[in-house]
Amino acid sequence: MAKKSWMYAVLEAVQYEMRQDKNMIWIFELTPPVASTPGLPVINLEKEFGRKRVVNTGIDENWMASCVLGAGLAGSKAVTYIPYQGNCMCFQVIQNHAGKLRSMTGGVASMPIVFLLEMTGQTPGFAGQHSDYEIDTYYAHIPGVKTVVPSTPTDAKGMMAAAIRDPNPVCYLYPAGLREMMEDVPNEQFTTPLDKAAVRTTGSDITIVGSGGGMPEVLKATEALQKQGMKVEAIDLRSLKPMDTETLVKSVQKTKHLLTVDQSYYTLCPGAEVIARVAENVRGARFKRVAFPDAPPPASPEMFLWMRPNADHIVAAAKKLVG
Amino acid sequence: MSELEHDEVSRETPESDQIASPSRRTFLKGVAGAGAAVSLISKGAWANGEIGFWAKDLPNDKLTEMFRTIVRIRWHERTMVDKMITDPKYRGYNHFYAGQEAVATGVCAALNNKGPFDQLDLVYSTHRPTGHAIAKGVDMKKMAAENDFRATGLNGGYAGEMHLSDKSCGFIGADGMIGPGHVIATGSAFAFRARGSKQVSVVFGGDGTYATPHFHAALNNAALLQLPFIYVLENNLYHQYAHYSYSCPMKDIADAARTYRIPGVVVDGQDVFQVYNAAKTAVDRARAGEGPTLIEAKTYRYYNHWGAPGAEAGQLGAFGYDPLAISSFRPEREVRAWMQRDPVDICRNTLINWGVLTRAQADEIEAAAKKEAIEAFAWADQQPFCKPEDGLKNVFVEGVVPARQFG
Repeated sequence: MAKKSWMYAVLEAVQYEMRQDKNMIWIFELTPPVASTPGLPVINLEKEFGRKRVVNTGIDENWMASCVLGAGLAGSKAVTYIPYQGNCMCFQVIQNHAGKLRSMTGGVASMPIVFLLEMTGQTPGFAGQHSDYEIDTYYAHIPGVKTVVPSTPTDAKGMMAAAIRDPNPVCYLYPAGLREMMEDVPNEQFTTPLDKAAVRTTGSDITIVGSGGGMPEVLKATEALQKQGMKVEAIDLRSLKPMDTETLVKSVQKTKHLLTVDQSYYTLCPGAEVIARVAENVRGARFKRVAFPDAPPPASPEMFLWMRPNADHIVAAAKKLVG
Repeated sequence: MSELEHDEVSRETPESDQIASPSRRTFLKGVAGAGAAVSLISKGAWANGEIGFWAKDLPNDKLTEMFRTIVRIRWHERTMVDKMITDPKYRGYNHFYAGQEAVATGVCAALNNKGPFDQLDLVYSTHRPTGHAIAKGVDMKKMAAENDFRATGLNGGYAGEMHLSDKSCGFIGADGMIGPGHVIATGSAFAFRARGSKQVSVVFGGDGTYATPHFHAALNNAALLQLPFIYVLENNLYHQYAHYSYSCPMKDIADAARTYRIPGVVVDGQDVFQVYNAAKTAVDRARAGEGPTLIEAKTYRYYNHWGAPGAEAGQLGAFGYDPLAISSFRPEREVRAWMQRDPVDICRNTLINWGVLTRAQADEIEAAAKKEAIEAFAWADQQPFCKPEDGLKNVFVEGVVPARQFG
């Protein structure tokens, strides 16, 4: 166990798997597979495994995603790290190829591959094209690929290890704003299931469901509400597809109040799916959604920070829903 | 690789002999075999060795204007760097264009930048847009305000640097993505051809664009349809933090033009007059319905990919280690070598040699440019911040969208 950043925890999981499997490859652009953390050795995948297996490519996310898909079809484990600017450039190959090949081959194709898709949305000023968060909705909609979004360094490591070992293509969403988040993470390799939500706090008054980059604000709001006497059950979705309906339903059966929080756009945000699943299974519950408005993120911090859901918004919405 | 690159460029400077380099000869031989349709290539390419091919015939005020534009861009960039380093209240995220000024200036000097929208030549820019914007005619004050996200900025605080645009001068705008803008620019060119307009559509892109599928889509369709389209590829050797040898197997990316049977021209991007000559040739061809041109300008940025790591206030250029460039950073000697062939100096010395400007006049123009840039950022500092609720505007042409962040 040692204090590790999100990025270090992810690369530690990858490094372990690449040492075990001499065929495994890693494709990147812009973001070097390098991480350091005090007291532990620097991880540099490019240096350790060489340019035959670890490649810094041109700016061509379509190729990056296609390359790992092709590698997977040829029997190699493969991961590509797509930076946030290009996280939809590769959409087609994931949606129309990776997501459909298992079905189209009549259950033959196996694709032990991971699309590590960085997403921003945390940084005001980047604006428009560099400020998107909405890909959680886009990728979670695709059948045939699992879409996960860890929110802590520990989950980041365990879910990366699980994603690499999974024989299905996995979209592993990486909220860039969490890159520097630090916590104690085990040094040994471990896996975290790709289909289980995490109940972060237990409570009986209200269920608040968030994911990825939105989780720190959800937990901040939870703490504030608990101080005010509200018993909050905070759930971190972790996996958008498959979605852990059972955990969600059980929680709302108890609390009868469900508030979802998304940094994604309101329409069809992951919270909309959460509410739909719970509504199908729980009688007499009340629901509310907090999400980014259906508007491209403007550059101005005044506009952007007002539009992005934060702990204050969540607290106010929770009180409105329960009160 | 980089040292060789520099030698290659040196051969095309006015100081060197007029004989094309070995790779140039191979290139010309190659295109000669491509048939009559590309006969213009060799003419254009040979003309590159002759500094005054078109530029020498320009009136003094036009040449002076080119110098003014170069120093306006230079001082805008230097002022912006200093602002970023010294003013903790400055909020802009900037990619600096210093070092590449001659490319934007030379290209835009060959375009129509004033008049009604349906007569303007259009420019599609990049994530490093401020030089292109100034050369096209964008207001420096409003741009400075936009870069600091002010309500009275060029785009009302919605854009920031990477999405700057100004329809009034045909600056379609900055683009934070690598590749798509090039293909979109061919769409504008298609519209021009369809409506019988003499307008041309120009896209700026970096060496990183070669690796994108959009490079092929843009040039292939432009060539097939003979579109009035000019692809200005600014090869500053690095895409983001990687040398272009990581993404392109050729030394001269202009060689790719052969594939499309269109002219591909390599120019010294530090010499505004060579850039102008190539651009003017390409614009004339495009207006005459003769199709697209790929211009590769060999150039260099004096700052790192993003922001000001390694830069000091009052000093030109950024040196040393960029913490963001973990696995590939630029040797300091490379930066200093390129700074020896500075686009401001080359333009200034040429115009003094031609008797267009005196030293005193050149100094005066530069001092005025510096003053303008300082005043632009001072004006921007006084501009109001945006209203939060305006973030719900401008999604559709009509109305506002509902707030959803409060539940």
